[in-house]
Amino acid sequence: MKAYLSVFRMRLRMETQYRGAVLGGVVCQIFFGLILIAVYRALYAGKPQSLPLAHVTTYVWLQQAFFRMLLSSDAELMDKVRTGGIAYDLCRPVHLYGFYYARILAQKLMGSLLRALPMLVFAALLPEGWGIALPASVPALALSLAALLLGLCCVCAMENITMAFTMRTLDPRGFQAMLNLLMMILSGSLLPLTLYPDSWQWVITLLPYAQMLDAPIRLYTGEYALPQAPGVLLLQGGWTAVLILTGMMLWKRNQRRLIIQGG
Amino acid sequence: MNTVRLYIRSMGILLKSQLQYPLSFLLQTLAQLIMEGGEMLAVVLLMDRFDHLHQWTPGDLYFFFGLMSVTFYLAECFGRGITGNFPSMVRTGQLDTLLIRPRGILTQVLCSAVDPRRIACILVGTVSLILGSRMSQVEWTAAHVLLLTESIFCGFWLILGLFLIEAILCIHSVKSVEIANAITYGGRSACQYPVDAFPRSLRTLFTVIAPFALVMHVPASRILGKPIFGWPAWTAWISPLTGPAVFAVMMLLFAKAMRFYRSTGS
Repeated sequence: MKAYLSVFRMRLRMETQYRGAVLGGVVCQIFFGLILIAVYRALYAGKPQSLPLAHVTTYVWLQQAFFRMLLSSDAELMDKVRTGGIAYDLCRPVHLYGFYYARILAQKLMGSLLRALPMLVFAALLPEGWGIALPASVPALALSLAALLLGLCCVCAMENITMAFTMRTLDPRGFQAMLNLLMMILSGSLLPLTLYPDSWQWVITLLPYAQMLDAPIRLYTGEYALPQAPGVLLLQGGWTAVLILTGMMLWKRNQRRLIIQGG
Repeated sequence: MNTVRLYIRSMGILLKSQLQYPLSFLLQTLAQLIMEGGEMLAVVLLMDRFDHLHQWTPGDLYFFFGLMSVTFYLAECFGRGITGNFPSMVRTGQLDTLLIRPRGILTQVLCSAVDPRRIACILVGTVSLILGSRMSQVEWTAAHVLLLTESIFCGFWLILGLFLIEAILCIHSVKSVEIANAITYGGRSACQYPVDAFPRSLRTLFTVIAPFALVMHVPASRILGKPIFGWPAWTAWISPLTGPAVFAVMMLLFAKAMRFYRSTGS
């Protein structure tokens, strides 16, 4: 356990290194958020919906703030597979899956916290109808934080499955891009899931991609009422467990048939 | 003329090298197709829910979306050297080798890369353009075809010009500067919708500073028969020229910035 913890801590520190780049990224992300909200506002002006505009703006800001949690991957591992460097990791007296799970968890956690905090402060300062609204209630906030943690675990499990698949091909870009796209479309990065057609809602909210960021956001805005919360958390936990088990199985299979590139 | 031959020659070589791994190339192209298809899906779903954006019908919006994605990805396809290679050339000092060759820097940078995978995005854009023009019942007179061609051509130069901003900043700061993305990629995300959807500050930004609206929305809205600012017809022919003008200004600034270039050595 200590080994995994120290990997986790090391990665946390590594993510805090390039703070200048983070600032640039945050400014970009804020600008994108403003553009999206402007479009949704214009659309709402033409045809108001039952879903309040404040929910949509809140969705956009939380989505932008935790953007890094969904879309960032462990680029080093891919290089290691390509160059054969993975042989060193195989020699370590640790469980390979756990080792990489700890790495990606730290990367995503710190990467998104560093960006989320300044962005959320900015979004809170914006006038009503543009900025982020307060959480539906104090318990809703607590529940959404818990759901966010579960969602983080779920993303990391999914990321490890992606990596397991891409380990098999030496040029992972095509395959990885496609899995990332699935994530973009089904997790709400492209368009808030709440704005997808109402008849699709029951399907897309059941998929694992909706458990990552969509579920915590809906708990925050109160879209999911408090009595629904245990069910939501259970679904998240269930998917996370399934994904971790699948990932472990795939990694084990890969380890048995992994070809080390010499050189 | 020599430069043009050189360019075509380099494109041929680059294309050959990209096609060395056909399966990977195919998968990446497919990924691009799904990505741009997803972007279009977002517009379609929004229209499904909201029916219209101010006076613009779904057909109009698909038309604007298609115009933007055809133009933007043409620029990304051929301007890959500026966005992809140039920052790393500055960082590694590789740019020095370009300085001693008897050709302009910009020519060499543009010759150094092409991204044929973008053809998939251009395809999605074309489909969207056709779909939009059908739904909005655009009459394809010779003048309209010419106007659309002009808009795409000028938009191509506008976006290349905006890509140069990042290159210029990068000469001064060595690091690749992410902030410059806000104007290019932000411009793409914003101006796939007609500019009158935005509040005044964003509208000014995309009309005066990065004139996407003048280059694309003015002619496109004329083709759709709903002039965006209520300007007279002849303005639709003049306003796209701001695109090449932006490129010319950026080219001058780029040449000026190159005078400050200090090699990172190694």
